[in-house]
Amino acid sequence: MNTTSAKGSHLGRITVIAMHAFTQLVRMKVFYFLAVFAVIAIASNFFDLPQHEGPESVGINVLRSIKSWSLGTMTLFSVVLSIVATALLLPKDVEDRTLYTILAKPVPRLDYLAGKLLGVLLLVFVSLALMDGLMTLVLHIRTGIVLDQQIEMAHGMGWPQDAINSLKTETMAHAPNWSLQGAVFAVFLRASIMASLALLISTFSTSTLFTTIISFLIYFIGHFQADARDAYLQSGAVGQGFFARLASLTMSLVLPDFQLFNVIDSVIEGQAFPLLLLAKLTLIGLFYAVFFTMASWFIFAEKEF
Amino acid sequence: MKAWQKNGVLIVALLAFGAARMPFEAGLSHALREASLTPLPLEIGTRDKIGQTSSAVALGGLRTLVATFLNLRAFSFFQEQRWDDVADTFDTIVDLAPRTRYYWETGSWHLAYNAASYYLNDSKMPALRRREAWRSSILKGRAFLERGIRNNPDDWSLQANLGFLLSDTNKFPAFRDANETFAAAAEAYRKSADTGKALSYVRRAQFYAFARVTGKEAEALTMARSLYAENKNRTPTLLMLLLILEAHENPSLDVAHRGIELFGTPQKAYEALGDHWQRTRERFPVYGVAAGLESLERSLSVPQEKSIFNKALQAPAGPDDWFSK
Repeated sequence: MNTTSAKGSHLGRITVIAMHAFTQLVRMKVFYFLAVFAVIAIASNFFDLPQHEGPESVGINVLRSIKSWSLGTMTLFSVVLSIVATALLLPKDVEDRTLYTILAKPVPRLDYLAGKLLGVLLLVFVSLALMDGLMTLVLHIRTGIVLDQQIEMAHGMGWPQDAINSLKTETMAHAPNWSLQGAVFAVFLRASIMASLALLISTFSTSTLFTTIISFLIYFIGHFQADARDAYLQSGAVGQGFFARLASLTMSLVLPDFQLFNVIDSVIEGQAFPLLLLAKLTLIGLFYAVFFTMASWFIFAEKEF
Repeated sequence: MKAWQKNGVLIVALLAFGAARMPFEAGLSHALREASLTPLPLEIGTRDKIGQTSSAVALGGLRTLVATFLNLRAFSFFQEQRWDDVADTFDTIVDLAPRTRYYWETGSWHLAYNAASYYLNDSKMPALRRREAWRSSILKGRAFLERGIRNNPDDWSLQANLGFLLSDTNKFPAFRDANETFAAAAEAYRKSADTGKALSYVRRAQFYAFARVTGKEAEALTMARSLYAENKNRTPTLLMLLLILEAHENPSLDVAHRGIELFGTPQKAYEALGDHWQRTRERFPVYGVAAGLESLERSLSVPQEKSIFNKALQAPAGPDDWFSK
């Protein structure tokens, strides 16, 4: 009895569809990308790039370089994967006729969409977690090596203890820490918004290509949303014209603000990422994901195939 | 529901959702900017300089990655001694990564030290042009560092670097007024030490710069005494400046006697005063030094031919000598 009700629950259905979507995507061999990432993360550790400064700061630059390369690759991978994978899902189910089989059963369309989206998000999350683990490991090992080299250099040059401690503190700011993990989570949040947005577009789009292109366009334009919002909020003070105000208002109301998620640069530079701000960012990410999913369902609910 | 009705509802919902999130987003955006977590928008000039591809990458939140590549480019320009290109590239780099101290310090170092030294030695240019290029490079290096400080007011190292540049024997002659330059150096060191993160030498460096400001001797003496109270600060330079400032405060002070108190023995006091007498290029004050040396030479029976006053002083350093040919 309990088993039947669990199978019949929304959560049960969503989980089954999500796991199916996850398996479907894994079979497309997307995890091969992780091999490329592993090469980048390990190679960035050995890049002997020309540097401008003395030996005491070169180690810090290598650590910054590892974070920069790794987070850059994670951002690109997560955005591309979330858009392309989501854009592929609905057309592929139509093409394989799986969609008809599923919808012929008593599966609410919202459950179907939520399951598909969660499958993509699970894939992005697992991929990011694996990449994060590798980056953290490489960074941890390299930080130890850099610290040893710096302390040996400082002792050799007869540095006083306070100078050695200060150098240690500065180097440790570039070691793996919670702010870095928060930045990776911000990358995941942005990818989640993109996936839910791509899902919305794919519900009325006629092709995968259209969904992909429009999603990437919105992704790039979304980085200017904050500028449009600031322009609108300050428009009274600077005496903007009516149409300029209307354009900036529309842009800021319709598009997501992706600048909010651009915290990775500051974290790479050694800035701390407070938990409260991460919580607020998570809230806004959830807000977007839920709204776009509900909007997708609104369109998809009565769509005929 | 008809298609147009559906689209209408969706558009209204989208706008209502946008209106609901706008105040929250604006507040969060402000909070992230306050916490220095999101960068300021890229300047149009920077977008032009890094090209469309890099602009797109930078917009996607990968500014530090673009800055890393540009840093490599700047290194090539440095190797080729293309100083204008080095300056341009570092301008772009710091716009992309304004909170990375390394870029500010390296850019400033290239301009104020490497480019300036290059012009000092470039035999292909006429002396007058070399002198102006040398001076201009140092001024640019200072301005770059000051811009870095405005972007990172809590960074002790940038402030300390500015103090170091302004009190460098080979650099301060580039500035019109030595007194103002030493005062600015002392102020930079003070701000660095006041962050609470600076190394202990920074407070002493502040004093060394401040002691050279004419007209501030009384304040410098107070500072010297406060530093002297801690054993770790009793460096030869601090002891010597304390002695000199005391001599300035009290012209009838027996400098030789006080020197022996501070340095331990007449021989050590004589050596310290002699060394200081020779340090002409750093423009430290010398109140009472000559009298102290004369007195110690008499008490130590230093022969006339070995007198410190018979040894040649270091040639005064400055652009007039460096660019005479």
